[in-house]
Amino acid sequence: MKKKKFNVYPYLLVAPAMLIIMCVVFIPVVNAIGMSFQSYDLRRPKDIAFIGLANYIEIFQDPLFWQSLWKTILWVVFGVGLQFVFGFILALLLNKSFKGRGLVRAVSLIPWVTPGVLIGLMWRWMYDGNYGVLNDIFRKLHLITDNIPFLSQTSTAFPAVVTTIIWQGIPFFALMILAGLQGIPGELYEAADIDGATGIQKLFRITIPSIKNTIMITALLRVIWVANSVDVIFNMTEGGPAYSTQTLSVYIFNKANTLDMGYASAMAIILALVLCTVAIPYLIFTFKEEDN
Amino acid sequence: MKKRLLALLLSTVMVASLVACGGGKEAADEKTDDTTEESKIEPCTINFTYWADNTDYSALMQDIIKKFNEENEYGIEVVGEEIPWDGGGYSNTLFNTAMGGGSTDVATFKLSATPMFVNNDLLADLTPLVDAWEDKDDISDNIYSVMRKAGGDDKAMYVMPWNTQILYVYYRPSIFEKAGVEVPKTYDELMTAIEKCTMDTDGDGKTDVYGWGMRGSSGGQEPWGSFIYANGGSFDDFTTDESVAGMQDFIDIYTNGWCPPSAPSDGFQETVANFKSGLTAMFIHHIGSSKGMVEELGDDVGAFAFPASDKGRWTSMGDTETVMFESCENKEAAFEWMKYLAAYDGQEMWCEGTGQVPVSQRVQKLDYFQNDPFMKVSFEGMDFAGIVPILDTTTEWITSWKDVVQQGLTGDKTAAECMETMQKTLYQ
Repeated sequence: MKKKKFNVYPYLLVAPAMLIIMCVVFIPVVNAIGMSFQSYDLRRPKDIAFIGLANYIEIFQDPLFWQSLWKTILWVVFGVGLQFVFGFILALLLNKSFKGRGLVRAVSLIPWVTPGVLIGLMWRWMYDGNYGVLNDIFRKLHLITDNIPFLSQTSTAFPAVVTTIIWQGIPFFALMILAGLQGIPGELYEAADIDGATGIQKLFRITIPSIKNTIMITALLRVIWVANSVDVIFNMTEGGPAYSTQTLSVYIFNKANTLDMGYASAMAIILALVLCTVAIPYLIFTFKEEDN
Repeated sequence: MKKRLLALLLSTVMVASLVACGGGKEAADEKTDDTTEESKIEPCTINFTYWADNTDYSALMQDIIKKFNEENEYGIEVVGEEIPWDGGGYSNTLFNTAMGGGSTDVATFKLSATPMFVNNDLLADLTPLVDAWEDKDDISDNIYSVMRKAGGDDKAMYVMPWNTQILYVYYRPSIFEKAGVEVPKTYDELMTAIEKCTMDTDGDGKTDVYGWGMRGSSGGQEPWGSFIYANGGSFDDFTTDESVAGMQDFIDIYTNGWCPPSAPSDGFQETVANFKSGLTAMFIHHIGSSKGMVEELGDDVGAFAFPASDKGRWTSMGDTETVMFESCENKEAAFEWMKYLAAYDGQEMWCEGTGQVPVSQRVQKLDYFQNDPFMKVSFEGMDFAGIVPILDTTTEWITSWKDVVQQGLTGDKTAAECMETMQKTLYQ
């Protein structure tokens, strides 16, 4: 039997991309895993040593870790969930033809293209308890009599930052879903109309099933991005007051800032594993769908 | 054949590595020999890294560098490279640059960053250079002592004084007049003034002027420290009854409604805005704010040093220093530049241009500084000013301070619990 000739060409073509991925993803990840098993504290460089699972054990005994993990779950569930709901509604509206649709589409993208740092600072002043525009509007509408220091109270700070991340993420969902909506053949709706389907029936029987994969991939990406995001929270509250807005990524950032890289790396690995529990089932599901 | 080629390649790499290591050692030995020799200053380039708070200060630093380059007798050329302060990220950027083998010789510096640089052997010990400097007495021993403490070694000094910012209390004379209070001379009088200045000025039943502009967010540990010491407490032990009483005073200001409800999240920008708008009667900051205050408020702004109690007195000494890196090849030349900034024209130009408090006693006595009321209050505070202990846990303590204090302000923790947490964080 003739042996198949080895072709080096495909490998050469993917080599540059693989090399870049190795340098910017694989090596840092391996490095972080390595650091998570060490007392890698740059404030005490002479004490850096392999300590096994000590960082992980300490993390699981750290009440702040559990509190931050819980906040991360709430941050992602409410943040991404409501981004999807409002993004979906916006996409449905933008899919209708009306005068000035192009302008509305462009304007609706503004939150998405604004840098997170700027969004954090902007909303911080909007929420300000003394001069914030939101308090001013609420007072003028006679909704409140005293200003609310939104970012100074543990009861209001977290909903305030979640609202901000929702505002930021709606356009991304809207854009992705809109692209999906435009790929649905019009004949399906025409056929449904002939059959006498209601709007709700068309939504759940045609629209959503047709863009299911778009929704899934968009939601997955946003879950990963939102869980990892630091900029908005950090610029609005730095995780406060009293740790009430400290998600795991903000906690990791704060720890890394104090140069305790071992502890921060261990938490980052845990966060990555948590995110894998969301991503892996999705990827398995996607591959199965493609095979089918 | 393949195996032979691989073996040859590996051998070459190993030999090359050994050569490289050997070369490095020789170079290090040579460097050590150089430093022990009596050396003369020869023309050279000194790379200087600094931050500037605004474009005016940036231009000012370039002017100082230019003047030094033109006038120094050794042909030293300082090349300035500015990197942003970035909310304190400057220290980390500088650290990363140095750890990565950057070529900085001298840099502006904050004391709080000293442990991470010293623990990684990045800084040069300036003791022999300072000892040999004829004008070293122009800077007070107390300041040198603070510099030594920061390095964690009484015999070594890694940080060169440059300028300081002594915190004091800004107040609005018009609000004091309305509240019928005088400038407080004791801590008790201060607390009374805070209470009395909290007023409902338009009679709608709601407070519209607050006595105290509390900074409950980042950076608030410095003004907060004055309350701890005024009660007889100290940063050496947060868990004493006196320290806890200081924390309780701080919490009471919030719970009594003597500061704006936004206090737990108020940082520098918010406290300044509240003071300028007349929402608060007093707040603590240093001379860096004085120019803007006078421009905005004219005569309706005054200053006094944080008052003493019979138990203690303290205010925070903000700091900016210079450091020399161990990797600097022309240490004597680099020290000429550091001296220029600390005591000579560089000191005078920078402090006049930025309004920072000079460390040079000769410069302090110049009319320009003596005629400035805010500078005089700063000088008054120098006698009892101090710093947060510089330990390798200090950065972590500062990072967590706001959340721990916020827990106290919002009632999640008692004053004693907050102080116990702080004790554990700083002295873990």
